[in-house]
Amino acid sequence: MSELRKLTFGYVGLLALLALTVGSSFLDLGGFNVTINLAIAAGKAILIAMLFMHLTGTLPRLAVAAAGLWLVILFGLTLIGS
Amino acid sequence: MSRTESVAFDNPRRERRADTFAMWVFIGSEAMLFGAIFLVFLVAHLDFGPAFAAASKHLSVALGAFNTAVLITSSFTMAVAHMFALHRRWRATVWALLATSALGVCFLVVKSMEYGKEIAEGMAPLLGLPFRYEGPDPVHAEFFFSLYFTMTSLHALHLIGGIAVIGGMIALWRTASPANRLHRVEAVGLYWHFVDVVWMFMFPVLYLINR
Repeated sequence: MSELRKLTFGYVGLLALLALTVGSSFLDLGGFNVTINLAIAAGKAILIAMLFMHLTGTLPRLAVAAAGLWLVILFGLTLIGS
Repeated sequence: MSRTESVAFDNPRRERRADTFAMWVFIGSEAMLFGAIFLVFLVAHLDFGPAFAAASKHLSVALGAFNTAVLITSSFTMAVAHMFALHRRWRATVWALLATSALGVCFLVVKSMEYGKEIAEGMAPLLGLPFRYEGPDPVHAEFFFSLYFTMTSLHALHLIGGIAVIGGMIALWRTASPANRLHRVEAVGLYWHFVDVVWMFMFPVLYLINR
């Protein structure tokens, strides 16, 4: 079943990213540690959304884009003031 | 029996699209809730970085990483359950759902072990427990642990909700029609994966930042 192969690929990828994020935290990369950790977290979220949650179609993407927009406003306006 | 569950829809395809869209809107509203708490953490981290970094070293990365792997596995078994439901292999679907909720329970057990350890070490500023933190800047370390317990317990409550819904779904399994079963597996699956995604951000933010 090719679908099972796809899910397994996603699963192995997620575990690899977990190993990467834990491993990178033991290296001192200065300010880059936070960036790398957050980038890996975003990568994991995208893997889960695409492979496990089947984020396709206009309406689900619209809902995600709307949530993303409001989060950008929330974070953006707060951080501008700080 | 009509081909749709609700009389509001002409055909099953439309009903399914509406179901999925509604779940994504709900997930968007959940993202607002968690996003606001992450923002509070971020602002506090920007203001009290050194105190937060020192406090975060007291969390167990090994247990946190183990729990992350457990949640990733539970998301995988949930995705497998959905795949089986699409192929109408109901017995396999139920087994995959049971595995998912068992992994959820495993996460909660490990999390409560962590809580127990933190409470024993006097790092839990909640319910009037003594806070005996020996490190720099205990005032802001206390703030870190308050945020840690707020964020992780809110996440754990979501997980408990997910486990309860899976349990209820399995209890009502025999009386549900095939379309009904698929809708439910799809909806609870989306929710479960979202709770997993939240943890994918919570783990590095709480456990790994500035080690």
